Amino acid sequence: MWVLFILTVGVVFALGLLSASIMERRTETLYMNRPKVKIEPLEPRSEVWGTNYPNQYESWKSTQDTSFMSKYNGNANIDMLERYPSLVILWAGYGFSKDYNQSKGHMYAIDDILLTLRTGGPTKPDTGPMPSTCWSCKGTDVPRMIAKVGPAEFYRGKWAKYGGEQVNPVGCADCHDEKTMDLKITRPALVEAFERQGKDITKASHQEKRSLVCAQCHVEYYFDKENPAAKGVPYLTFPWDKGMGVEEMEAYYDAKGFSDWTHKLSKAPMLKAQHPGYELYTQGIHAKRGVSCADCHMPYRAEGGVKFTDHKIQSPLNNISNSCVVCHRESEKELISNVYSNMDKVIEARSILEHLLVKLHIEAEFAWNKGATKDQMAGVLQDIRRAQWRWDYAAASHGGAFHAPVEALRIISAGIEIAQNGRLKLAKVLAGLGYNKEVPMPDIATKAKAQAYIGLDMDKLNAEKQNFVENILPQWMEKARAREDNYITHSVTEK
Amino acid sequence: MRLFSYFKPPPQWIIFVTLLVGAIVGLSLYSVYVSNAVSYLSDDPKTCVNCHVMMPEYATWRHSSHGRVTTCNDCHVPHTNPVAKYVFKAKDGLGHATAFTLHSEPQVIKMRPAGQAVVQENCVRCHAGTNQKAKALNVSFAEIKHGQGKLCWQCHREVPHGRVKGLTSTPNARVPVPGSPVPQWLTDILKK
Repeated sequence: MWVLFILTVGVVFALGLLSASIMERRTETLYMNRPKVKIEPLEPRSEVWGTNYPNQYESWKSTQDTSFMSKYNGNANIDMLERYPSLVILWAGYGFSKDYNQSKGHMYAIDDILLTLRTGGPTKPDTGPMPSTCWSCKGTDVPRMIAKVGPAEFYRGKWAKYGGEQVNPVGCADCHDEKTMDLKITRPALVEAFERQGKDITKASHQEKRSLVCAQCHVEYYFDKENPAAKGVPYLTFPWDKGMGVEEMEAYYDAKGFSDWTHKLSKAPMLKAQHPGYELYTQGIHAKRGVSCADCHMPYRAEGGVKFTDHKIQSPLNNISNSCVVCHRESEKELISNVYSNMDKVIEARSILEHLLVKLHIEAEFAWNKGATKDQMAGVLQDIRRAQWRWDYAAASHGGAFHAPVEALRIISAGIEIAQNGRLKLAKVLAGLGYNKEVPMPDIATKAKAQAYIGLDMDKLNAEKQNFVENILPQWMEKARAREDNYITHSVTEK
Repeated sequence: MRLFSYFKPPPQWIIFVTLLVGAIVGLSLYSVYVSNAVSYLSDDPKTCVNCHVMMPEYATWRHSSHGRVTTCNDCHVPHTNPVAKYVFKAKDGLGHATAFTLHSEPQVIKMRPAGQAVVQENCVRCHAGTNQKAKALNVSFAEIKHGQGKLCWQCHREVPHGRVKGLTSTPNARVPVPGSPVPQWLTDILKK
């Protein structure tokens, strides 16, 4: 009898131990794959997200790298006006003729907009050349502010209005939901562009979102002051209502009678193609085969025993083995030479159009000086607008020579024809004014010479910027630091 | 009946014995509940992450092409007949449960030969129709063991769990692990 009793005690004891062990191992789950801190909605500081996701964060931070130069671009700081002084002439009267550098990694988004001459040297919140809209793509403080004040109010006023509010460069909160880490569209302009086309962006698949989060910014856009919801506000708008092709967007702008600026030399009503990278990518073979932006620009990477998406968003040419080679079996050397050969050809054609446009602007200026009338010049100015729109669409799409070389060349070739037609018209105008010789070309061999020719007072611009950097910027940074010091981050285990 | 009466306690003990047997049965039932034992009869992949060491396997499968068309059991238990299926499941499952309870799982979990044979069989089961020309499909596990052919995943190394394997290989994966065993109504009462 006692034996049975002791046996039973043993069985119950063992059962208890088993239950406790199962409980213990179940409880472990509560601490596994669990983040360390609670990320607040719209948390702008990527370093807070980084405590939970160190691999992604560290790779994102390495977008600070400026050591890679491909044949034409890369992530190094290249002064593009120095390299191509013709650009100064093409953009005369527009901010880009003051200062235009090769774009660097996401980590520099804020630094670069603060330091470029294009944003000038505002001394008060309501001074300076640029509107508040210019912040829209610069970082994670944008979704935070838009949630607070709404898009129209965000775009209203001058760029300097948000000094001290915009300090975190493009980062986690621009593309991710803070709870699930799902991809998230945070910029109203893309959502609105989809709505106007009768599409619902929330229905996009995960693979589509791996490109659409990029299309929040890497697209052609303009500032629409006629938006019925916010009259007079430079409302960030994507001109996609008729389609994303070069002709469709041109038709959209023509129908609105919109121009970004009036050219200083030729007086043409110009369009500035911003960076239709996404639009041109959709025309290429990779997009047509369902390859997303992230597939090549953020390939998988293994570190230790962990595989994750590389958040060092960069040219795949700097990481062939993890991007191209995943699908293509050729050697790295072969793949790079294929890309460069496409780039060489597109840039060869683009240079032809570029030189024609320089001539057009200067010849048009010459014709005005000879006493040409508006009526005489109307056709020429239209051709300048249309030809340069095509040149800019191909040039500003950055990766366009890789993403869609055939479409890029089609656009440029159409631009060359329009430009040549424009020059024929100009020759007739000049002949009518009694001039039938070659128009003399100024010396624009360097950036400085070209900027002097279009009448930019670079000393003044540099002095304004220096004053801004030395006196205004430290105040902005101090204001931001004081604000962020009040942000509280909770550990997930806190109640 | 004679056997039952042999175990039947004398009348003055009957209450005590009933309580004791009740305690043993109750504790056993609790173990069944807390270990989600019933779920092991199903084909639901969530069952496999009852043990959190299977998180990387679940996450990698879920993100692979196989994640859209297969469950764990489609590949990892035999489908020749229901008896073979459940016998294999019981054998394999008890082994896994023992290892998990004793904390004896390795850092990198690999299939044993018995599991490999089943998976190889199941590759062929589904892909026979699509890959009739592929010679390797006609190779049996026994032949492979004798060096006459290769396992499917010796070439298709990424299928479906990827090449990087280990308990810590998917640190941020969202996996439907079991939550607290305390029922919601009890939590609500305790909160008040």
